[in-house]
Amino acid sequence: MCLRDPAPAPYLRRAYHLPQRLGGSLSAMKWTDLWGLAWRGLTRRRVRTGLTALGITVAVASMVIFLSLGEGIRKVFVEQLGGIGPDIQVSLSGFTQGFAPQPNLPDRAVADIQALAPELGIKTVTPVVMTIRGSLDVSQSVVLYGLPAAQGIGAVFPNLSAAQGRGFTPADEGQGVAVLGAKAAQNLNLKVGSTLNLNRRNKAQVVGVLAPESGLVDNFIFLPLKTLQKSEGAEGRVSLVAVKLDNPRQAREVATSLSEKLDLEASTQSDFLSFVERALKISDAVRFGISLISLIVGGLAVANTVMMGVFERTREFGTLRAIGARPGFVRALVLSESLLLSLVGGVGGVIVGLVGIWGVNLYTQKLAGIDAAALTPRLVLLALGISLFLGLVSGLLPARTASRLNITEALGRV
Amino acid sequence: MTAPTTQKTEVQTSNTPPLHVENLSRVYPSGEGQVRALASFTHTFPPGMTAVVGPSGSGKSTLLNLLAGFDTPSTGHVRVGDVNLTTLSEPARADFRLAHYGFVFQNHNLVSILSAQENVEFPLTLAGLPPRERRARARELLALVGLENRAGHLPNQLSGGEAQRVAIARALARDPGILLADEPTGNLDSKTGELVLSLLTGAAAEGRRVVLITHDPEVAALAHYRLSVRDGVVTAG
Repeated sequence: MCLRDPAPAPYLRRAYHLPQRLGGSLSAMKWTDLWGLAWRGLTRRRVRTGLTALGITVAVASMVIFLSLGEGIRKVFVEQLGGIGPDIQVSLSGFTQGFAPQPNLPDRAVADIQALAPELGIKTVTPVVMTIRGSLDVSQSVVLYGLPAAQGIGAVFPNLSAAQGRGFTPADEGQGVAVLGAKAAQNLNLKVGSTLNLNRRNKAQVVGVLAPESGLVDNFIFLPLKTLQKSEGAEGRVSLVAVKLDNPRQAREVATSLSEKLDLEASTQSDFLSFVERALKISDAVRFGISLISLIVGGLAVANTVMMGVFERTREFGTLRAIGARPGFVRALVLSESLLLSLVGGVGGVIVGLVGIWGVNLYTQKLAGIDAAALTPRLVLLALGISLFLGLVSGLLPARTASRLNITEALGRV
Repeated sequence: MTAPTTQKTEVQTSNTPPLHVENLSRVYPSGEGQVRALASFTHTFPPGMTAVVGPSGSGKSTLLNLLAGFDTPSTGHVRVGDVNLTTLSEPARADFRLAHYGFVFQNHNLVSILSAQENVEFPLTLAGLPPRERRARARELLALVGLENRAGHLPNQLSGGEAQRVAIARALARDPGILLADEPTGNLDSKTGELVLSLLTGAAAEGRRVVLITHDPEVAALAHYRLSVRDGVVTAG
């Protein structure tokens, strides 16, 4: 008699005509059955499973919130600054000095660029002085932005308009007047007619407050160029020259020409965005590193829970193996439990993270008028992916242990 | 399966594969020496119930472990039909057990998170049988052991006797040719034990090869054949 092709037993003929067995470690059991069994294995110790899932939830939520800060800031720069502002910024040191370069560029550069305007298709040339007025209280920090009053704020930020008072007129050049972004006005408690102290010797009267833009510009205080130059002791010098082109698509080529002809740093919007992206990537790595600690702790909790489950169910695994489960089935079962546990924790982490992000944004909206945190699809995928990876890694050792159990020892019959 | 009875019954003609052991022995290392758990043993298990009797520690369970492929012999082999169980890989041995063996343990060993019905279904689930078919088969077997009204109960909601009957239903799920039972009545009162034995004798009467490990002479008396084990040496009768 050959058992490799057994004759169907009379009692259960159909049972011998089973689906073709899968190769590898699993038998013909369906994945849905396996995951159902894994889920029931997890829910037999509800409190322990719940606490472990909570641990993962907290770890993933903290990672989501940490990384969402980078995503939010990225969004602010790409969506809000990217669409407006100059096509090219010309300065002495490019972005190496950060967002607001020192006013160290002689303002004759403006005339040099103006002279090249017809040749390079330059529409407007706007000298700018920028300085950040920092404070220990973040809500009191603002950006002072000086530009020629005759050109007006619209020369660089065409979307901005005054909600109260007025914008600049040519007569304002060199005068102590200021137009405030909505958030700056709110945080500094200033309104049209108020006096803004630039320093001990220089003051400006608020002549206008801009409509809110839900962006960083809301924290800007605009001043006439000469007023800010005088106030900063930077007469005859500017931070950068903002250039608008007839055809913004030629920004890269024009920037290269300007750099070569004037021996200056000329950066396009995309240079600026990639500078921001590089800076954010570094900060992403740091924030991910911090959240990695909680992720590792969460992973260890999963490993501990699953391993305890394996030890508690040694006899049960022995029985499964005895009645015909392959070692691979037991391995897959334990791994499935680990993956399910991590997935539940991961989904919980994304939901809790979303609540956290909402809280962060509530705070930063109040503070600076921006959503500093954002939950993007790639962040959700990253969180779930890391949760599953964590489950996989945490489940490997318990799964290996369970699949290698000696049946006789597991059944307690040495 | 025939109606349960505790009387020794006639064995029907069998088309199940023969179970044969050849020169089977098992020696365990112990310190610097060795302990002989089973001396060389050659035997063909006929259809019907074979009782393996002997005192505790005599080697009965060692023999069962080898017959089931849970353990590897020091010498010899276990052959079921044309298949040498000893040479099979671990996954192949698991597949073979699933297709041809049924097990009844002393402590029923039901999966605690599964209901009685799901426990009976489990070997069929492992084999990939569609849910509807395996449910029908499990219901049929639970009715056979008189527990159709306990199908949805978890093992901890069943009495010891009921759980053991569920274990027998599980062992029969794939209609195996070989049934190995290790002290199946060891933890049961005499009345429940009798019911369990009647199910096993019924399974044996249908031509299955039932190997029953027991230390109870009264239980052994119900078997068609009898092997005695003492200090690892197996003798007939």
